Amino acid sequence: MIILVFLASLLGSMAIGLPVAFALMFTGIVLMSFMGIFNPQILAQNMIEGANTFTLLAIPFFLLAGELMNQGGLSKRIINFAISFVGHLRGGLGIVAIVAAIIMASLSGSAAADSAALAAILIPMMRDAGYNVPRSAGLIAAGGIIAPVIPPSIAFIIFGVAANVSITQLFLAGITPGIIMGLGLLVVWQFIARRDKVATLPRQDWPARLKATADAGWALLMPVIILGGIRFGVFTPTEAAVVAAAYALFVGLFIYRELKIADLYFVLLRAAKTTSVVMFLVASALVSAWLITSANIPGEVGNLIRPLIDNPTLLLFAIIALVLVVGTALDLAPTILILSPVLMPIIRQAGIDPVYFGVLFVMTTCIGLITPPVGIVLNVVSGVARVPMGKVIGGVLPFLLAHIAVLVLLILFPELVLTPLRWLRG
Amino acid sequence: MKKGIDYLTRGIEVILVLLLASMAVMVFANVVMRYGFNSGLAISEEMSRFFFVWLTFIGAVVTFKENGHLGVETLVRMFGRRGRMICMALTNALIIMCAVILFWGTWLQQPINASVIAPVSRMPMIYVFGVTYFAAVGIGIIAAVRLFRVLTNTVSEAELRQFAGEYDDDSQLVGRSE
Amino acid sequence: AQYQDRTFRVSNGINEDHPVGDGVRAMQACLDERTGGALKLNAFWGNALGGDLQATQSLRSGTLEMVITSSSPLVGIVPALGVFDLPFLFSNEQEADAILDGEFGDYIAGLLPEFGLVNLAYWENGFRNLTNSRGPVEKWEDFEGLKVRVMQNNIFLDTFANMGANATPMAFGEVFSALETRAIDAQENPFVTIDTSQFYEVQDYLSVTNHAYTPFMVLFSKPIWDTLSEDEQTAMSDCAVVGRDAQRAAGRALASESLARVREAGMQINEISPEEQARMVEKAQVVYERHAEEIGVEVVERMQAALAELRAQ
Ligand code: NA
Ligand code: NA
Repeated sequence: MIILVFLASLLGSMAIGLPVAFALMFTGIVLMSFMGIFNPQILAQNMIEGANTFTLLAIPFFLLAGELMNQGGLSKRIINFAISFVGHLRGGLGIVAIVAAIIMASLSGSAAADSAALAAILIPMMRDAGYNVPRSAGLIAAGGIIAPVIPPSIAFIIFGVAANVSITQLFLAGITPGIIMGLGLLVVWQFIARRDKVATLPRQDWPARLKATADAGWALLMPVIILGGIRFGVFTPTEAAVVAAAYALFVGLFIYRELKIADLYFVLLRAAKTTSVVMFLVASALVSAWLITSANIPGEVGNLIRPLIDNPTLLLFAIIALVLVVGTALDLAPTILILSPVLMPIIRQAGIDPVYFGVLFVMTTCIGLITPPVGIVLNVVSGVARVPMGKVIGGVLPFLLAHIAVLVLLILFPELVLTPLRWLRG
Repeated sequence: MKKGIDYLTRGIEVILVLLLASMAVMVFANVVMRYGFNSGLAISEEMSRFFFVWLTFIGAVVTFKENGHLGVETLVRMFGRRGRMICMALTNALIIMCAVILFWGTWLQQPINASVIAPVSRMPMIYVFGVTYFAAVGIGIIAAVRLFRVLTNTVSEAELRQFAGEYDDDSQLVGRSE
Repeated sequence: AQYQDRTFRVSNGINEDHPVGDGVRAMQACLDERTGGALKLNAFWGNALGGDLQATQSLRSGTLEMVITSSSPLVGIVPALGVFDLPFLFSNEQEADAILDGEFGDYIAGLLPEFGLVNLAYWENGFRNLTNSRGPVEKWEDFEGLKVRVMQNNIFLDTFANMGANATPMAFGEVFSALETRAIDAQENPFVTIDTSQFYEVQDYLSVTNHAYTPFMVLFSKPIWDTLSEDEQTAMSDCAVVGRDAQRAAGRALASESLARVREAGMQINEISPEEQARMVEKAQVVYERHAEEIGVEVVERMQAALAELRAQ
């Protein structure tokens, strides 16, 4: 019964246009009234505690690093680097887009920002070279959502805090699945490129490649600093984020020199505003999470799917299908925040590795970013590429299926995630 | 009036920038001190966390003013002016309710938070927790103004479009999502 | 006696397999017998309802009934509880039991209603001991330069800094990987935590320093407590004591099991000789002086008087 109250108040209020953060507060108010424990202090206290967490400070710092890098002319250099090495292969600019998407994913955690940057540079080039533009836009959208799977990743930070799972482990675990997602796209794109006979770029010689590498080198060093720092215990994820921001500031100001001191104010302001949007959501989610837990909703859901608990694979298929459905309508952070308190007790009880589950969970919510009815990455790419939304949805479809195939593969063979994770842990 | 609000918004934005910049400096300084001097400041962990809380709730008001909080507008977008206005009225009424309860809760919690001292800075926690007063009042006023304009039928087309999540500028979209 | 059907939510930071789980089960069994199943405990584990400090604040505002928490996170609310953070306070479990279940324990419990809290009983967290990756710690000089993770707590920070260690506050969730990657050398916790957190996989040396004993407190919300009948209050208090005895017994059994397990896992374990223990206690006295003011001079003096009386017997 209480599950229905929870779902009705959350979905109903969101349907009339109430922003998710307020819908979560409203749901909390409804839940506590329904349970007969209405007390305004539950709202006030949980909201502050939601933000009062040192680990979450990684969010503003990674956002800041991303903003600084974008402002500093980094995307252009990464794309040139990719062009110099793979532009001449069959699939041409499509392969460039996939490779650049993977590299940019290791620098930033934002699917929307990465897709926007890739689309802004690559779509005009692809259009001029006679590529099918909706298909190209779809590929870029599908590549852009690798960003939250490969670290750094705000999605992993939020999941780590919401589910009490090591962020360091999540970061290390995300690398391989992110690359596999890229490989999946590559396979599908090869079929399309063969059929469409897409143009390729001239092969570049080694001096040109070396120059492109040197140009992009400062950017390419950033994932080494972040991941190496975390892997070898030099930094905690929060510290790694602030070091990344300092590094991006240094490169933007003194090496690439595309960042001006005057830009700094707006870079900080944008990062601050995005931080407050994300964190206000985290804070509101804690209100309903507290009441969900208090009302034993995870237990009720657990009872519903108890028959599956002895079969982890089947259980995972059921849960991931649920997440995929929720993700079609919701953005990353709300999906993670709403579902974690319900799902994690069940995952732990079924003996599924929480780090492995976190990877699948985040991947699935990422896929939601490129599905209708609400897919923010689709909106971004459609806007930047000037392609109508309906056509982008058609264009993204084969790549969407590729991502889902990868997801199924990872559920059937957990070792694809766990074995490389063991190597990386050392 | 409009000018006054603009100045106020700019002023708050300066505060947000200062908060984020100081957080970054404090945490970065601690990393440097730990490796350079084998020491660290316990206060910087605590203060950067408190700044983060302030940033979150002060920023939430500014982003609310800009319709920056994520929502699902699929259904609303299908409606015409009248339907959109009904949704906008209901939504803002619910937001006012949330803001009132948030204010009320902070008020009831005030004595409890005033009597707790932060471990390192020894600052009474009400200075941290009290920021929800600002958030509740700020968001409440903005929502009340919007509700008033809907009810008096003075809301503009542009505002209704924004409410339905229709943006003119792609960068606004990117900024909304993490 | 009259009992209404009531369910009390109990917030816990630790997981259900901790001896506190045994205590809660024993307390529930006692309540079932006394109240015919009217009073029920609904326990939440692993910080599901928030951290210990947040949960305690919920008690004060009457939005949550119970929390079982170590005393350390609460010193910001009740400064007197800092007395339990003082280093080398109790020399053994019998001493701790006698003081906590005796007059001094009642005195501390008597301070709490003013803060909106009722203490039902003192349960056991166990003596805290040091593990590290550098070498056995046998005398206080061995702390020199050791990077130790401690809780975010001034007295703990000062205790280790005073020994010459480099005390680093860190969230518990980050400790394992920080030890693994040698970002820190050492951490300190009771045997059971060292075992269940598998610190033996990343630490070679365990030194039985017994440097701190912070009790668990079984706290009830004062605003809600006042709505209970006298019979219900008595049942809760009495059963918390029944739970306490079960919890301490389970904890002590588990502690020796844990010690055996970490030894088997290859940890090198050393006891501190009585002479060196005395030197450590001596060295730590300055921490008492430095923090007496913030804890409350009367509280520290009463504690020392109670200990002196007990040791004279
Ligand atoms: Na990323
Ligand atoms: Na979607």
